[in-house]
Amino acid sequence: MGQFDDTLQFIDELDRAETPDTVCRLLLDLTSNYGLTAIMAGTVPRPGTPRAKQKSHVMLCDWPMDWLERYVQRNYVDLDPVVTYIKRSPTMVNWRNAAIELQAGQTARRVMGDAGEFKLNDGFAFPLITIEGTIVMVSLGGERVDISQEGVGVVSLASTYAIGRAMQLQSAQDIFDQRPDLTPRETECLKWAAEGKSEWEISQILGISEHTSEKHLLNAKRKLGAANRVHAVAEAIRHGYIS
Amino acid sequence: MIYALTTAELAERPDLRDAVHRLRHTIFVEEMGWEDLRSPEQFETDQFDHDEAVHHLCMRNGRLAGYQRMLPTTRPHLLTDVLADLCEGEGPRGPNVYELTRYAVAHEHRDGRRGVSTVGSELIAGFVEWGMERGVDQVIIEFEPMWVLRALQLNFLARPLGYQRTYGRQQVVATLLTFNNQTLEVVRNRRNHHAPVLSRGMPEDEIFRQAS
Repeated sequence: MGQFDDTLQFIDELDRAETPDTVCRLLLDLTSNYGLTAIMAGTVPRPGTPRAKQKSHVMLCDWPMDWLERYVQRNYVDLDPVVTYIKRSPTMVNWRNAAIELQAGQTARRVMGDAGEFKLNDGFAFPLITIEGTIVMVSLGGERVDISQEGVGVVSLASTYAIGRAMQLQSAQDIFDQRPDLTPRETECLKWAAEGKSEWEISQILGISEHTSEKHLLNAKRKLGAANRVHAVAEAIRHGYIS
Repeated sequence: MIYALTTAELAERPDLRDAVHRLRHTIFVEEMGWEDLRSPEQFETDQFDHDEAVHHLCMRNGRLAGYQRMLPTTRPHLLTDVLADLCEGEGPRGPNVYELTRYAVAHEHRDGRRGVSTVGSELIAGFVEWGMERGVDQVIIEFEPMWVLRALQLNFLARPLGYQRTYGRQQVVATLLTFNNQTLEVVRNRRNHHAPVLSRGMPEDEIFRQAS
């Protein structure tokens, strides 16, 4: 029961996390109890994806910096037996078994050997599948991993909640990035327009000229792609500028 | 369209009732390997098909394409009587909490890839709509851990009720999902379909359809 309460508390903390980095740190706090000190989670890039773009597939990452650099630099994502395994059969797999089952050749074994240099000797990976059918691969490892079957269950469930939270934060960020860029003054004018105030009344409230308040509202209308003032107010509400 | 029928209403339409229990047998016994439920008539039914159960039927061209069953938690349900080891401590109960069971999408209506099919997402929109109309804002679901991610993507508040365990060929985790109007909006946005999916009447009778 104690361990289950810990899991619930972990999920509560995730809900309060505001950045993917915080999510990652919370997850590592939990997984390091099992010797899993490194995590990489993200969608799998297609073979041949340019290096610069590979990083945009990453959702959570706390790998040793030098290892991440080398992994990207040498394009290991196309060679890594764990990645290949998950792509072929999306099920949980131990790092070593992935290499053995794929009868990994020398290049693939080099990836595993290199990981060992960074004290990533042992670990496992599993897939999560989004609503869209995209595979998110989660890979966890460390120098000395000590985990029971039950522990694997706890870690995979905790990881699922962490990825879910990271995706929620990401989509909130996307909405934020896409929304038109209103200035505080424009937002303020719209707020009063939403209260039914005229341009003259708004100018009196804000202590600006009527011409200026008119200009702010026109700019806001243009930025919001609105046909008229009512439409602009509706769009501003939709984008969360006013409520 | 989703039709929400009580067990008594379903019994008035033997064609639909048979389709429901046959689909359940195909999915849960033959596909998922819940051998305890195997029946020689290939007709899956259990003690929870009682008078307070609500059957959600997703119809496509007059045929059953998907199904789920809502059980009140104010009387015994799967988590209390059958899957009790999925729950740590007391499970949630109350008039606002239902248990969603037997979520099923017929083979021909599955997405070829791994995503959620339109029938699958219509069932989700259906239970949220159905719940919002009658003051139900929480459902208990025993599903594959994979679904947790999808639930979070759809803006459900999710909490596990216990550890995950293996049943048949599946890993299962009992989860409490809480939802509100915003969840419904996200589900509808994802589906790109904003009209209600819950129908008021009964599905048209296949025989009448063909005659007219």
